Amino acid sequence: MSDPGRAEVEVSGEVPSGPVPVAVSGLPAGRAKSMFRLGLEVFIQNRLAIVGIVVLALAALFCFVAPLFYRTDQVTVNLLETNLPPGPGHPLGTDETGYDQLGRLMVGGQVSLAIGFAAAIIATIVGTVWGAIAGFFGGLVDAVMMRIVDAILSIPILFLLLFIVTIVRPSVPVMIFVLGLTAWLVPARLVRGESLTLRVREFVQAVRVMGGSSWHSVLRHIMPNVVGTVIVNATFQVADAILLIAYLGYLGLGISPPATDWGGMLSNGTAFIFPNYWWLIYPPGILIIVVVVAVNLVGDGLRDSVEVRLQRR
Amino acid sequence: MEKLRTHGGIRKPIFRIFGSIAVVLLALTGCSSGSGNTSPTATSGNAPGKAADTATFAEPPNTVPNWIWPFSPLADFSVSNSSYLQYLLFRPMYWFGDNGKAQISDSLSMAAEPVYSNGGKTVTIKLKDYKWSNGTSVTAQNVMFWYNMLKAEKTNYAAYTPGQFPDNIVSVSTPDAKTIVFTTDKAYSQQWFLYNQLSTITPMPDAWDMTSATAKGDCATNESGCAAVYKYLISQSKDLPTYATNPLWQVVDGPFKLTKFNADGHLTFVPNPTYSGPVKASLKEFIEVPFTTDDAEFQVLRGGSTIDVGYLPTQDLTAAKPANTGPAEAGPNPLSANYTLAPWFLYGVNYFPINFNNPTVGPIFKQLYFRQALQSVVDQPGILSSAAKNYGVETTGPVPLYPDSPLISQTERNNPYPFSIANAKKYLTDNGWTVNAGGTSVCAKPGSSAGECGAGIAAGAKMDFNLQYASGNQTITTAMQSLKSNAAQVGITLNITPAPFNTVTGTAIPCSGKTCTWQMGNWGGGWVYAPDYYPTGEVLWETGAGSNSGSYSNPAIDKLILDTTTQSGTAVMQAYEDALAKDLPVIWQPNYTYSLTEVANGLQGATVQNPYSAINPEEWHY
Repeated sequence: MSDPGRAEVEVSGEVPSGPVPVAVSGLPAGRAKSMFRLGLEVFIQNRLAIVGIVVLALAALFCFVAPLFYRTDQVTVNLLETNLPPGPGHPLGTDETGYDQLGRLMVGGQVSLAIGFAAAIIATIVGTVWGAIAGFFGGLVDAVMMRIVDAILSIPILFLLLFIVTIVRPSVPVMIFVLGLTAWLVPARLVRGESLTLRVREFVQAVRVMGGSSWHSVLRHIMPNVVGTVIVNATFQVADAILLIAYLGYLGLGISPPATDWGGMLSNGTAFIFPNYWWLIYPPGILIIVVVVAVNLVGDGLRDSVEVRLQRR
Repeated sequence: MEKLRTHGGIRKPIFRIFGSIAVVLLALTGCSSGSGNTSPTATSGNAPGKAADTATFAEPPNTVPNWIWPFSPLADFSVSNSSYLQYLLFRPMYWFGDNGKAQISDSLSMAAEPVYSNGGKTVTIKLKDYKWSNGTSVTAQNVMFWYNMLKAEKTNYAAYTPGQFPDNIVSVSTPDAKTIVFTTDKAYSQQWFLYNQLSTITPMPDAWDMTSATAKGDCATNESGCAAVYKYLISQSKDLPTYATNPLWQVVDGPFKLTKFNADGHLTFVPNPTYSGPVKASLKEFIEVPFTTDDAEFQVLRGGSTIDVGYLPTQDLTAAKPANTGPAEAGPNPLSANYTLAPWFLYGVNYFPINFNNPTVGPIFKQLYFRQALQSVVDQPGILSSAAKNYGVETTGPVPLYPDSPLISQTERNNPYPFSIANAKKYLTDNGWTVNAGGTSVCAKPGSSAGECGAGIAAGAKMDFNLQYASGNQTITTAMQSLKSNAAQVGITLNITPAPFNTVTGTAIPCSGKTCTWQMGNWGGGWVYAPDYYPTGEVLWETGAGSNSGSYSNPAIDKLILDTTTQSGTAVMQAYEDALAKDLPVIWQPNYTYSLTEVANGLQGATVQNPYSAINPEEWHY
């Protein structure tokens, strides 16, 4: 079953060349473009979003590719080289256990980024399915499912995380799981709202008239139509997860050594403010800020690109 | 799509950006303090910024007093409870630590040194004229109260050792109100009996001989009446919010009375006007303040106007002091403008216990080769020179290596298990384990014969252990990370997790059965020899001893310990310490200088510190 709502924009798969003529009304004067093409153009016009993409790409290269060329031992403690200032052999010095700080930023970044993106994916999938089902079926199903969301939302997220990490041993998979399963609530509410409006739309009603099952409607029509909302929210989930893992690391409840994350590194660095070991504090702190800002810029760009109203400007 | 703005509009990204910046700002401003005490005390007196008649003392990080009754179970048998709370209020019969030396203090003791007769089996003690704050005298009956309580509830007292005090007392009498006569089952080493047996006695007032708030007990005269009194006193000691108001704890014979107690560690004391000791407090108030981390304490200390006696976190020293200096010798002091650095080294040993009774990993811990392997991956010299900045000494056995003493054997001096990854690996491979460096070693040859893993260890058993350690101290944290890293090189996986001091001490206690699940617990400070001031270790290593946290048991060691209690001289001590140093009842770790104490300039009487951890703020004054 095709989506009548999309019919207006999915007229042709051809890619128009040159600038698209725009009528005074703001609507395209020529052939309609694909949704993706329109979104991409809007996104590219957002320079800050492009900056965000570049920063994220650089961060990913720094964390996942650079260790292939800049090899350091991030497992074995070296008490003979603790707290060395930046210099030959250690461009960003060493920490209190003798780990090379630059190499540690790379492995710490791997954890922070991996947890951030993985937790966002889990949260997005769970939240989308939950919200779509609640919104589409409505009634008692909706009431029960959303009261569960409300109940969990009423618990401060940091408190919940602190509670969980004190009863389970923090590790990367555990932190991904824990953050993912505590962050799905917002996308669930978001998608549920979208579903409530979509389920009364003609193309969904048509599915029912033609004998399509409810699950078919949810999977083939409701969820695909909320994908824009979901993608935008997912970027914010990434930023939230990176910050949350930083909070936990700062509180000393993050990943256990020798693994680390940027928040944990920052936390360790605070013990050395007085002797002014700046290389233990500023680099992880700045990286957290830069990456979180970049993710948010990308999120803003994506929001603009999926906003129908903006696509027609 | 409209709803997207309400959820993901402009404000949330800004919120996130601010959030990320906040994380960094928190770090840069060092706002991890858990202390609520950041307001300076009133300014007056000799020292700028400090009240002349008030002294504020910084408690160790994440370590707060939580047990007021001197009759402590092991979980609450800590320096912070005895030294920073109980001793200030309730004085033990004998006081140890004399002008900074590790010996008895006759002037501060409540009794004259005992007189031995009858071939050493009769011990006569004469009490000095001390008074309780309710006006009654400290009498032999008050000693009998303690003695009867100990007989009735000995298994609930941390310093109890089976076969020793009070089991080794045949009879006791009180010929007059100030005299107690103990008759022992045999003649004991007189120094040991004074330093390790009589030292445990704390006279208890008649006011505590109660079975409820209104019903009088008879424990002081009748051992059978002690159970009910114990039940009542233990319930009152668990009631932390009432410490400063409960009439029981207002009857004191120490130099101070408690006027404010907060379970978070904020305590306020005022002088006890009826204190009978040689020096009465001249301070109007003595205040203790808690901190969750040493960094938090340091932030306040740097201000220079709040804390009178605090401590310098080791990590805030930019360079190690010379390695050939003693652990109590001061190096450069970054706070010299406001404070005098007085390193405080305690007469004790540092170690962490392993639970021999753990139903899962206990069989591994019982293998000497495993303990040898684990001991061999403790890099004591490395930790001391880096994290501890040379403030501390190695621990290699039950007798402290500092100060130098004839008691220290050559075995201890030479360290039977120096740091060596190769040795650790050999201990395991020689005993049936497949060593997976960076992974987890597994038992390949189960069985009890030579070259096999040992009794109770199945094929495929893994060297994967949980180690809980005290949080809040950077030196301990670094040492634990070092240990984990070194152990990983021989396939011993240590899952290290930080926890508050009281949580660790409350977890690592003697136990048995299926619920005895803790594996390793490191509260960071090991043991200061108090109230067992002579380092014979019966409280720690003898089978069934109250402070034998890991339930270590070795009949040969028990015999050697017994010899140290009945025979004098260094030979018997060295035989015991050699055997124990080699048998590893615990895992030895560096004995750090207890505190890099910073004493406010102008504060007198605080720089000479007690090697057994007690504090005497009654002697402090500006």
